[in-house]
Amino acid sequence: MMGKTIVITSGKGGVGKTTTTANIGAALAMRDHRVVVIDTDIGLRNLDVIMGLENRIVYDLVNVIEGKCRIRQAMIQDKHGLELYLIPAAQTRDKDSIEPTQLRELCAGLEQEYDYILIDCPAGIERGFKNATAAAQEAIIVTTPEVASVRDADRVVGLLEASDLHRPRLIINRISADMVRRGDMMSQRDVESLLAIEVLGLVPADERTISAANRGVPVVHDARSTSGAAFRRIAARIDGEEVPIQEISPRPGVFNKLRDMMGMKGRAYSHA
Amino acid sequence: MTGRGSDITFIVDENAPMEEVARELAKQLSGRQGALFSEGGVSINTGRRSLTAEEKYVIRRVFEENSGLKVFRFVSTIGDYVVESDEYLDDPPRRYPWRFLQRRGTPRTLAFDRNLNDFIGGSRRNRTQAMLIQSTFRSGESIHHYGDVVVLGDVNPGSEIRADGDIVVMGKLKGLPHAGASGDNEAAIIALEIASPRIRIGNCEAAIQAAGKSQKRRKRGRGTETGQPSIAYTRKGAVYVSPFAGRFARYTKGVLYDG
Repeated sequence: MMGKTIVITSGKGGVGKTTTTANIGAALAMRDHRVVVIDTDIGLRNLDVIMGLENRIVYDLVNVIEGKCRIRQAMIQDKHGLELYLIPAAQTRDKDSIEPTQLRELCAGLEQEYDYILIDCPAGIERGFKNATAAAQEAIIVTTPEVASVRDADRVVGLLEASDLHRPRLIINRISADMVRRGDMMSQRDVESLLAIEVLGLVPADERTISAANRGVPVVHDARSTSGAAFRRIAARIDGEEVPIQEISPRPGVFNKLRDMMGMKGRAYSHA
Repeated sequence: MTGRGSDITFIVDENAPMEEVARELAKQLSGRQGALFSEGGVSINTGRRSLTAEEKYVIRRVFEENSGLKVFRFVSTIGDYVVESDEYLDDPPRRYPWRFLQRRGTPRTLAFDRNLNDFIGGSRRNRTQAMLIQSTFRSGESIHHYGDVVVLGDVNPGSEIRADGDIVVMGKLKGLPHAGASGDNEAAIIALEIASPRIRIGNCEAAIQAAGKSQKRRKRGRGTETGQPSIAYTRKGAVYVSPFAGRFARYTKGVLYDG
């Protein structure tokens, strides 16, 4: 089976691209896939930190592309023993160190051997974005329910469509159900109607995401966290499984838990 | 640059400045490669950019002065849809007032020739073709079309549409529209919801007030503006917005769009 290269992008910085990449990568690997995650944020690498692998870096993406090492040498295996490998970005170089075509070739090689290649795209729409998107066949856009973030996501959708990456899918990250209910935050519906693209998943705001990232253990490994569960569902959907989108409910009360267990659909938002 | 049968298609980088494109083209055509193109027709594909009349003129001149080639059409791509334009070209008029254009994928684009205006009784305005955009028009996208523009989707914040004719949006209009961009104050903007921060029609410009009490009062008081099909038009240099309720909607009392 040929692998698939998916770019995870957003336009705006700080919306959770890197965290999302680490978590989806781990969740796909937990589903017994062979996964490679590539950090293309050359000069500002972070994915290694979130995966807790910063101490093991010897070679990086630029070394591979410049032929200084074999691709195997730059691939760092996940510390939980999953079939998950990281190709870190170079910290001392910049985005002009690689060409879009070079990354495409690299991914084409990896697709022969691995099921999923996830590319963590840098913020912005300049060279780094072009490098990352050129290599991918599919795109996932991460946005938070904030006007600025959604605006940038909209721009990115337009750019992706122009570069023949049609039908990008959307992850809405850091939804706070309480704020949505108070009318202080855009609802999932608002974001969806503005961007008019398919929603791949909703991730609730969860302090565990942050603490897990600081510990270098993606939150999907935390069985009790709501965001971890959201990332596992997203991985299942990427895998082609039909998992209904769960609305983020204000509080995981007894009733909601019971309803989830019974597999009933969440209550629709009354928020306009 | 690609050759296709007896035609040659030049693809112009949509982000490059026009002078650069013209200079590069002249170099290509007068250089050694250019000798290959002794005669024939040229089709210009400008991607997601639509050229102004002057730009088209420059391109045609470059071709005619540097080679034996003749530009026979300009083509631009909006999303999946190929839009053809042949204004300013001396093709014989077509027999039918409309035709379906070359398409990529399933959706279709309908273009109106200038003959259509004769067909429906003529128009004072210099409008020749409608451009149909069958997708959401997103932030950062910008188009300038010399006819009417019809969008079958939302026009999102941060996008710009300039049309020499009318702008019709079958969705929410939140970007920056400029109807009658060549100075036609008779042009109108019609949308299922007008929520743009600024509207321009011909030489008139209007800004909506920042959302506040006054806007709410206005909304309640006169029952217009947001959330319903609206038309924006000008009267004596001011931009008005009123509910769009059919053909004569523009003659009903509107609400001044200027704060």
